[in-house]
Amino acid sequence: MSQDVSLMAHLMRRAGFGATRNELDEYLSDGYETTVDKLLDPGESNHMPDDLIRRYHVDQSELRQLDCAGAYWLYRMLTTSNPLEEKLALFWHGLFATGYAKLNQARALLNQIDMFRQYGFGSFRDLLVELSRDPAMILWLDNNENHKEAINENYGRELLELFSMGIGNYSEDDIKECAKAFTGWTLKNAEYMSVRASKDSIWPYGRIAWHYEYRADDHDSGEKKFLGEVGNFNGEDIVDIIVTQEPTARFLSTRLFQYFASDEVDDDGVQVIKAMMDSYFESGFKVSAVLRTLFNSDYFKSEKCRYSRVKGPVESVVGTARLAGSYQEPTLDVHSLWAQTMFMGQGLLAPPTVEGWHEGVEWIDSGSLVERINFAAKELSDPTKDGVQDIIRRVTSGYRDFIHAENLVDSCLDFMGPIQVGANTREGLIEFAESQGNLQLKNGKTDQDGSAQVARLIGMIASTQEYQLA
Amino acid sequence: MVITNTISIRYLKTIGIVNNGFNGRGFANPYDVAIGPEGNIFVLNRCDPARRNAIRVGVCNLDEEYLYEFGYGFGDGDGQMMLPVAMVFDAMGRLLITDEHTNRITIYSDEGEVLGKWGHKGESEGEFNGPAGIGTDSSGTVYICDQRNHRVQKYTADGRFLAQWGSQGTGPGEFNLPWGLGLDAEDNVYVADWRNDRVQKFDSNGHHLKTIGDSAVEEEQLIRPSAVSIDENGNIYVADWGNERLQVFNSEGEVIASLRGEATLSDWAKDFFESNPDEMETREISDLTPDVPDHLNNPYHISSQTEPFFWGPVSVRIDGNNRLYVVESNRHRIQIYEIE
Amino acid sequence: MGNKGKSLVVVQLSGGNDYLNTVVPYGDDEYYDFRKTVHIEQNKVLPIDKVYGFSPHLAPIKRLYDQGKVAVINGIGYDNPNRSHFRSMDIWHTAQPDEIGTEGWLGKVIRDLDPNAENVLTGVNFGRGLPRALGVRGVPVASVGNLDTYGLFPDIKDESAKKLALDAFAHMYGGVQGKDPVLNFLGQTGMDALKGADILRTAPQKYSSAIEYAANPIAQGMKSIAQVMLADFGTRVFYTQHGSFDTHSGEILTHAKLWDEVSGAVGDFYDDMQEHGREDEVVVMIFSEFGRRIKDNGSGTDHGSGGVAFIIGGEVKGGMYGQYPSIKEADHLEGDLHFNNDFRSTYSTIVEKWFGLDPVPIVNGHFEQFDFVNA
Repeated sequence: MSQDVSLMAHLMRRAGFGATRNELDEYLSDGYETTVDKLLDPGESNHMPDDLIRRYHVDQSELRQLDCAGAYWLYRMLTTSNPLEEKLALFWHGLFATGYAKLNQARALLNQIDMFRQYGFGSFRDLLVELSRDPAMILWLDNNENHKEAINENYGRELLELFSMGIGNYSEDDIKECAKAFTGWTLKNAEYMSVRASKDSIWPYGRIAWHYEYRADDHDSGEKKFLGEVGNFNGEDIVDIIVTQEPTARFLSTRLFQYFASDEVDDDGVQVIKAMMDSYFESGFKVSAVLRTLFNSDYFKSEKCRYSRVKGPVESVVGTARLAGSYQEPTLDVHSLWAQTMFMGQGLLAPPTVEGWHEGVEWIDSGSLVERINFAAKELSDPTKDGVQDIIRRVTSGYRDFIHAENLVDSCLDFMGPIQVGANTREGLIEFAESQGNLQLKNGKTDQDGSAQVARLIGMIASTQEYQLA
Repeated sequence: MVITNTISIRYLKTIGIVNNGFNGRGFANPYDVAIGPEGNIFVLNRCDPARRNAIRVGVCNLDEEYLYEFGYGFGDGDGQMMLPVAMVFDAMGRLLITDEHTNRITIYSDEGEVLGKWGHKGESEGEFNGPAGIGTDSSGTVYICDQRNHRVQKYTADGRFLAQWGSQGTGPGEFNLPWGLGLDAEDNVYVADWRNDRVQKFDSNGHHLKTIGDSAVEEEQLIRPSAVSIDENGNIYVADWGNERLQVFNSEGEVIASLRGEATLSDWAKDFFESNPDEMETREISDLTPDVPDHLNNPYHISSQTEPFFWGPVSVRIDGNNRLYVVESNRHRIQIYEIE
Repeated sequence: MGNKGKSLVVVQLSGGNDYLNTVVPYGDDEYYDFRKTVHIEQNKVLPIDKVYGFSPHLAPIKRLYDQGKVAVINGIGYDNPNRSHFRSMDIWHTAQPDEIGTEGWLGKVIRDLDPNAENVLTGVNFGRGLPRALGVRGVPVASVGNLDTYGLFPDIKDESAKKLALDAFAHMYGGVQGKDPVLNFLGQTGMDALKGADILRTAPQKYSSAIEYAANPIAQGMKSIAQVMLADFGTRVFYTQHGSFDTHSGEILTHAKLWDEVSGAVGDFYDDMQEHGREDEVVVMIFSEFGRRIKDNGSGTDHGSGGVAFIIGGEVKGGMYGQYPSIKEADHLEGDLHFNNDFRSTYSTIVEKWFGLDPVPIVNGHFEQFDFVNA
């Protein structure tokens, strides 16, 4: 049983933002493979209703500024019943990294995230076509400046290099031809909107959201030669060619592997990626099929795969807040939550460049580590939080008078995850727990001081090296 | 009372420009408007804590002169605000403002001096959990929507509790997070029963008289109505927040007009373009009322891309000269119409 | 590496400071034509000469200017000015106007000053989160929100409880690690953070001064900088910011308040350094991401280009540098002041003349230098 719990907790750290024990119990009643299927085919999610957010947070109704939009997306991550939907959207956000700094248009970014939710599990072909039509992407990579008479290669280049095939699998000519095929793909009122974006103008009446426009008269409809094929290609035709390339399958599978399975790819990982590539082609480029192969692989389920990723800042903040049971109703604190992701080096909706964030161990430096620890320790050492109270209840259940430090540590580690820690960490935690004395209970329950004592230990567990890993 | 079936509402002008959290001219997510004893326009800027300097009341006039401001947030000190929702002038010319975060009603003079305050969090008589819409009747009695207690409370002009009605539910006289509140000339009370998608009409003792908004009839459908005002003929103006429009009903509850908004440039906006001609040049070749693609074809997304339309209509008020003021939180402006 | 005992304090004015109301062309009638509402009256200006003068809200800076300790860099900017806050600030931070840069110029300065990263406190930022100017991979920079509570577990108020938590932390992170390189790295990083915080937190205890800084954030930031500098931890680059200067409305009041705070803080800081005989060891640079439109909008001013920077210190050769841009309509750059010196000239001067480092890789090119600081 406990092996099942560990495995399910592992799955949920990867395919979600971790899970409370209540949530794990529900997933366990479905079993592993059914849970994977449900995660991959989520349907409508339950989450904090939009109308409640918009009435309370007038800034999130308007979404004029980055901080408001970041908080808005965090609410979704914090309260969704479909965690993989958000986790995958966050993956696409990092891969197709589109940043606020150049756009100055938060609504357009959130519309892009909505598009990731809608197309992110389906055909990679459809996703790339939608991405090419996405107004935020168009402005981000200058496709509004890609004209029939004067091409701008920026989108064409990044589509191949960073979004689909990876460098070394096409020529400079292919880039030019690709760019030509996307001429005329722009946004409505492109001239006015790009002037406003370039000046961060919110005047006179706030921002005006964007939508896609195809200008046939600005499209180069001439013949193009792309990756060895010849035709009067438009953008969709180019994407059709891209998605059938083996490098595309490898690129996508590898990136998904690194995000969901392990920062480093070893020999066994190479085999899993091969299987993911097969699923990609067999399913007609379906992302959900590729992920199903990954999640159901022996490699993913193995001990080796566990704790082999450094949690990203957003993952860490959301996971901690979900475990604490915070932010289930609109509250002004959500704003500082967004700021936290910024302090830890992953400003949501504000990736530094089109290459996205440097992940894995590069998330960590002394400043960001201190921010992580201080945030998690504060959030989880608060005995008034619902999630913390639930852990305390579970920890003390079965005891009557007191709990020894060592038992308390093991029990907290269990109900916070389960989280596996090394021997040295466990010693440090026990030493800390001992310094607080045995936990005294009255009729199997903690009093206020006792709850605070357990909460302090929970906060200390959130400060461990192991807690930084997923 | 005359039952009308037609009404003429003529667009007059727009006042406003976005203020990004600073002192001075412009509005920051305005939530309500009230016309002062001298005819000045008082605008309640809700804004948000990250841009706290703009949480305040700004005062201007119909000629778009920005006159003064008061009530700087964000705080719970005397006269400060945190999440202000609504305001109204009472018969004595005092301005009453509700704040859903401090759970207080603060009374200001029209110059911003604090004259009094009452309320704190709770669910008993005289306590609040998210006070929202506010109105006063001809005798100075105050009515307040107590949002998260799902009720209406009635007070004397100085904040002494008189009565309350309502509880959470969907039946007549029950509420779900009520927001705006208005009164007619006969002191009947109208409540924007926000999450029940309807407006309820009561007599001044809380007896349910009528429900407006019928989800079965498309044009009478209201989605999350935020505010309600009644003109001298008993016509009912509802800020249909979820539909981003203004619905006008006659006293029988039949729709007699529907407005989507037609804002133009305010004087302040014109000033902006005068010093920023580069933006004006590209604006002039733009289509500011575009057709939007299917996946964005809902009122919120349409309004987010259509500058003249109402976006976030949170309050509707009528002054003594039959001018209609529609406050848009997301466009930082007030569209003014004349009822003829 | 570089000249020892010399440090730099950068004060960022976030939001776009209005140059015209900072150093005011009060002797030029056209200023009052373009600035019908948002201007500083002639009789209030603190004159530099018959045409230009400081805003009265820069009085402490004017006092230092009169002592020859302030270099005013007029008309500072870069080609094809960008009027978006984020992007323009990025350009100033990375010294790369033409493409999106990834390395901060001050991060590179810190790397060159301390190539083996021997001192985790060579660069210290006062504020939460790291400004891009300081960000270079592998270069540790401490970001200090509050010097008194800096470090781990600031939310534990009880001192003995905090000590227990820190002891446990040291046990866990400092213990013998296994073979896992990621855990080892986390352990090392955690111990570095612990060490840095232990050192930094002693600064306020070591400090004594007759100067009373104001209670506002920039004054407190400058006080913290003084504390760390006087504690001699070897910190060479300090960073802090104040704002928001994005005065589209109500500019007169807001701009006055902000400059009262900044100039008061910088004036107090200079006096503090002087009290301790250290004013010759520090240079303060004040900059903003852009200036504002020449013509006002009736209540404030909108995003523009062409700005002003200030260099202040005991070894600074005071005076007016660069040229004050013409405000005649014909000379406008898209409605803005025309910049006449690249900000990287100022950076290069500081990097080479003050720090004795090679500026070329730091500012990404060769730029003519000023002579505003003694080498």
